Amino acid sequence: MGIEGSGIGIWDLDILTNALFWSNTTRILFGVSKDLPLTYDLFLSLLEPQDRARTDQAVRRSVETGCTFDLQYRVDRGPQSHHWVRALGSIVRDEKGAPRHISGLVIDIDEQKQVEEALRIRESHLRSILETIPDAMIVIDGNGIMQFFSRAAERQFGHAEQEAIGKNVSMLMPNPDRDRHDGYLERYASTGERHIIGIGRIVTGQRKDGTTFPMHLSIGEMQSGGKPYFTGFVRDLTEHQQTQARLQELQSELVHVSRLSAMGEMASALAHELNQPLAAISNYMKGSRRLLAASADPNRSKIEGALDRAAEQAIRAGQIIRRLRDFVARGESEKRVESLSKLIEEAGALGLSGAREQGVQLRFNLNPEHDLVLVDRVQIQQVLVNLFRNALEAMAHSPQRELIASNARVADDMIEVAIFDTGPGISDHVMSNLFQTFYTTKETGMGVGLSISRSIIEAHGGRMWAEANRSGGATFRFTLPASSVESVTNGT
Amino acid sequence: MAHKGKVYVIDDDDAMRDSLDFLLGSADFHVTVFESALNFLDALPTIGFGCVVSDVRMPDIDGLELLKRLKAGGSLFPVVIMTGHGDVPLAVEAMKLGAMDFLEKPFEDDRLIGMIEAALRRAEPGIKTEAVTIEIQSRLASLSPRERQVMDGLVAGLSNKLIAREYDISPRTIEVYRANVMTKMQAASLSELVRLAMRGGVLKD
Repeated sequence: MGIEGSGIGIWDLDILTNALFWSNTTRILFGVSKDLPLTYDLFLSLLEPQDRARTDQAVRRSVETGCTFDLQYRVDRGPQSHHWVRALGSIVRDEKGAPRHISGLVIDIDEQKQVEEALRIRESHLRSILETIPDAMIVIDGNGIMQFFSRAAERQFGHAEQEAIGKNVSMLMPNPDRDRHDGYLERYASTGERHIIGIGRIVTGQRKDGTTFPMHLSIGEMQSGGKPYFTGFVRDLTEHQQTQARLQELQSELVHVSRLSAMGEMASALAHELNQPLAAISNYMKGSRRLLAASADPNRSKIEGALDRAAEQAIRAGQIIRRLRDFVARGESEKRVESLSKLIEEAGALGLSGAREQGVQLRFNLNPEHDLVLVDRVQIQQVLVNLFRNALEAMAHSPQRELIASNARVADDMIEVAIFDTGPGISDHVMSNLFQTFYTTKETGMGVGLSISRSIIEAHGGRMWAEANRSGGATFRFTLPASSVESVTNGT
Repeated sequence: MAHKGKVYVIDDDDAMRDSLDFLLGSADFHVTVFESALNFLDALPTIGFGCVVSDVRMPDIDGLELLKRLKAGGSLFPVVIMTGHGDVPLAVEAMKLGAMDFLEKPFEDDRLIGMIEAALRRAEPGIKTEAVTIEIQSRLASLSPRERQVMDGLVAGLSNKLIAREYDISPRTIEVYRANVMTKMQAASLSELVRLAMRGGVLKD
């Protein structure tokens, strides 16, 4: 027969007798000698064990239903070795139409099978790589229709693979890109001008639920079957940008802390350097006052008073420096039960001197029921003086000038103090930086006043904030721990 | 005019030295100034009894070292220590080394003069100024047991937080006790509290 010698063997099975005929080529494919008697059972025993049952079933089904069969199975060639063949067969019927023989061809497909296997392995490697990398991969054709949509793409965009494939890739982007994407592709096809291909860019993606996210997109181009395809790799930058933002936040905190510690060092150095001259000033004043006691000058008592007050201020300056240093260094203050109204009046005498001459109306609306607080007097007066001076400066060019200090009980154990002014108020931009160290809107300001004030209030267990008020000016509020009656009686 | 006694001022800061000379001179003390502890120690064998007013922070021999040398030499001169940097450990150390008193710059003239007068009187043989000590002890006695614990903690140089942890009370409550202690002891600062506690016999070497 002409078929013999072309690698194709012939076989024939007598259904009634189970007698089996194989041509020479078939015998070679199965690895049996020319003269070995053949049976159907012998045939089955020559196959790889796991192929036997399905081959037997296919043959039987063919006999029963009369259909042809086309089967691929492995011939057992010893341990770890097999040979792929393909068997085709059909039923040959007798004159009455009953199945008599089943016969057909056997084709050597081993080489083809090995190539297929190698391809399959490579494809599964590729697939596992694509599924592992966090970047999404999307392949589109020249018209923007999606051909491939990786697992990571499903995760990033929220579309299932089958929802995406066959659709225009523009569904993955918000407008204006969504409407323009087809135009981008056309322009590239006609001009060959690259805007993103091979370059990579940060663009915005849109998820199935409509939310958008920043992503880095890099695109590669390929030709297949004469048609262009584009492969896009997408990296979701949301997390990356969050990390960046957090990093920036940490850095600015660090700067703040290092500035604070620089301030602490400065305060400590200042304490030593300034306390010497302050002590000397106080000594000269007090010495002069003692000498003056023996004088008959008519202005003696006035001069004595002035010298006393000057010396007191030198000592007060020393106290401020000392408290500030202790506070910055240890975060501790020397707290006593103090009268809020007295604190405000004293601070007003310092911070509001000249206010009436400037035409500023001063009002202290202080409720005596909420008067006692547990505070460091010097520190809280610093805060008040600071707020008073800021308010006066703010109202320097205002037509209406009114400053109101008030107190109120806000919680069982806290008393709120409010300083109201009719200045121009605080712009949103300034408001967000108001309490930052070294932030100032004043030409000669250091930008430490409000920052230290807030630190002082917080060290007292209170809060400090600013808000706009009904007159368009600013109201600064802070809270202080109220002093319970028991601690007062206990303390005196 | 009769002098109230001799005072030896030791400070490396010119203005401090000169202003103390002026102040104490106007208060009728006989004042001699030294710009270093070494100069004072050199002069010591030739000068008469008096009260020493010394800065702490000085080059070469500082105030604490001066106290050690005076103690080692058996000197009976009372010493008042001044500092621009009042902190508790320094005050404790100075008092332990035999300083009569401890003062933070700048200070009220009356306090310094009162201290010098007391120091001079106290050091005179046969005269004891028990009154001051008795007054301090009555202040100490007015403290509640909790307040006394808080004072001991403060004098040992502990922060509010550490004291709170030690006695298992909230730092906020400690602040209340601390305020009470300072008020009852009539102390304006921590280093003054240390001074009063030592004078009252709370702290021993």
